[in-house]
Amino acid sequence: MPDALIELADLSFAWPGQPPLLDIPAFTLHKGESLFLKGPSGSGKTTLLGLLGGVQTPNRGSIRLLGEEITQLKQGQRDRFRVDHTGYIFQQFNLLPFLSVRENVELPCRFSKARAQRAAQRFGSVERAATALLAQLGLQDNGLIARRADTLSIGQQQRVAAARALIGQPALVIADEPTSALDTDAREAFIHLLFEECRAAGTSLLFVSHDQSLAPLFDRSLSLAELNRAARPGGL
Amino acid sequence: MYLLRLAFASLANRRFTAFLTAFAIALSVCLLLAVERVRTEARASFAATISGTDLIVGARSGSVNLLLYSVFRIGNATNNIRWDSFQHYANDPAVKWAIPISLGDSHRGYRVMGTDASYFEHYQYGHRQNLALAQGRAFKVDPFEVVLGAEVADALHYQLGDKLVLAHGVAAISLVKHDDKPFTVVGILERTGTPVDRTLHISLGGMEAIHIDWHNGVPARGAGRISADQARNMDLTPSAITAFLVGLNSKVQTFALQRDINDFRGEPLMAILPGVALQELWGLMGTAEKALFVVSLFVVLTGLIGMLTAILTSLNERRREMAILRSVGARPIHIAGLLVLEALGLAVAGIVAGVALLYAGIALAQGYVQSNYGLYLPLAAPSDYEWALLGIILGAALLMGSIPAWRAYRQSLADGLSIHL
Repeated sequence: MPDALIELADLSFAWPGQPPLLDIPAFTLHKGESLFLKGPSGSGKTTLLGLLGGVQTPNRGSIRLLGEEITQLKQGQRDRFRVDHTGYIFQQFNLLPFLSVRENVELPCRFSKARAQRAAQRFGSVERAATALLAQLGLQDNGLIARRADTLSIGQQQRVAAARALIGQPALVIADEPTSALDTDAREAFIHLLFEECRAAGTSLLFVSHDQSLAPLFDRSLSLAELNRAARPGGL
Repeated sequence: MYLLRLAFASLANRRFTAFLTAFAIALSVCLLLAVERVRTEARASFAATISGTDLIVGARSGSVNLLLYSVFRIGNATNNIRWDSFQHYANDPAVKWAIPISLGDSHRGYRVMGTDASYFEHYQYGHRQNLALAQGRAFKVDPFEVVLGAEVADALHYQLGDKLVLAHGVAAISLVKHDDKPFTVVGILERTGTPVDRTLHISLGGMEAIHIDWHNGVPARGAGRISADQARNMDLTPSAITAFLVGLNSKVQTFALQRDINDFRGEPLMAILPGVALQELWGLMGTAEKALFVVSLFVVLTGLIGMLTAILTSLNERRREMAILRSVGARPIHIAGLLVLEALGLAVAGIVAGVALLYAGIALAQGYVQSNYGLYLPLAAPSDYEWALLGIILGAALLMGSIPAWRAYRQSLADGLSIHL
């Protein structure tokens, strides 16, 4: 399938000495698609993201990212592949508090040449890419960009985290409960901004949350419990 | 190198702990270098106390004891040498010069030494440097003239022409004073950094004159007393001296003359080679000196362990920082590198501050140490040896830094991208 970004097949994972946590027969995320993945905590959500990020390796099955079988890569290659193609937004406290807002946004470009090149291609330079992305996410004030990241409000910090995930146009942005620390109004506004930016960059969005009310905003919505055979009582 | 920037920013974020850690290292480095410098200089100045003298001769006792009282003005002779024994060897054809030394009196804690003009001519210290007068002249015919060592003049604020009274014996507080025969300061010697600075020099005649009316260790009373003016007209040739220094025409004769002196039939004498005795004495003090060095090494180790503790303690609360870095593409090896750089940064800061502290300390204490301990601490660039010590400290810090680096490496492999609160 040429437009598949993530393809999981016959994937199984268990922590050592424990029963299988994940058993996913098939899962696909298309290019440019935004997918809502519902999963309460303890459902293996974090582990799935770890597998997609190449931090953990499955016991069985295949994980293809952009057609690349990442289970076949070495640890170092997986790390490089991850930063080249994936941006992350976490629940909260996403930023390094001792760096400025700008430096936080630029971080992925420091560790990935590919991201730095793409950022420079689109905006002229990494620095301009950071400024432009922050502006598009509603953080225009120049003084703010130079401030220490921990002087910002939570809502502002999450937008900085989004800018960081998006810089250098990764093919995929994985957002793990990014809105749980925001209030309801800010939540939708944040998701709309995220959509806009993902669309502009042609980036797919895998949005993981337990908050079902956000699901209608996305192209497609799935529940990890439906996906995961290991979660169904009695299996199969 | 972006990791360096990250390490620095992270350290700056924990600046108080970082400052304390670096400060502990700085203090330990400063202590180690100071001990090293004092040790080196003490050894050098010790070896430079006397030079050019081939033999030191005294009554038979221990060689270290003889060296201590004749050169360092520490302790006392067990016995005297007869004047004719000194004459016997002073006139030996192998002997180029001989300096008589007569000890036993003091002035406010400083030793008084009776000698003659040959002392100013032949006595050498350091790299064969002769004594030089900063002011005035050497003592002459009048027996009641005194030439002061530099420190005596400085500490007691004596100037040329001042009169002073010598005390009998060498105790700091002496009950018996030679106050009937005051001495006049006629000369002050240049500073030498040796015990000469702490000595008052008078002529043998002067030494004889102040004791001329003494019998059995107590001064005469009433009619038996002899005034200074009466003494001037008497024969002041001493009957005994404490020791004498010998310079030979040829070094080859040293051992022959030493044997001859040791076998002298007139009275039991002993001749020692100053270099050998100095080494023997330094060997005695060497243990203390080595102990001091070992202690300061342990202080450095303590400083480094403090750093290790500070970094290890920070690891747990920095798991989030590590996970964020991992999520933006830092590999575990980067995380490990970050911690090694951190340790290196702390160590370099500590070493630089420690060296700065040392130089500030030397600049401040130089004068005080010189005048009080006769030790000259040069404000010189670090020696090769000191550079090597600093290099070893840095290497040790690097080794220490690899412990938290290894732990962080393992931790970031296990934690992956999940953030632990």
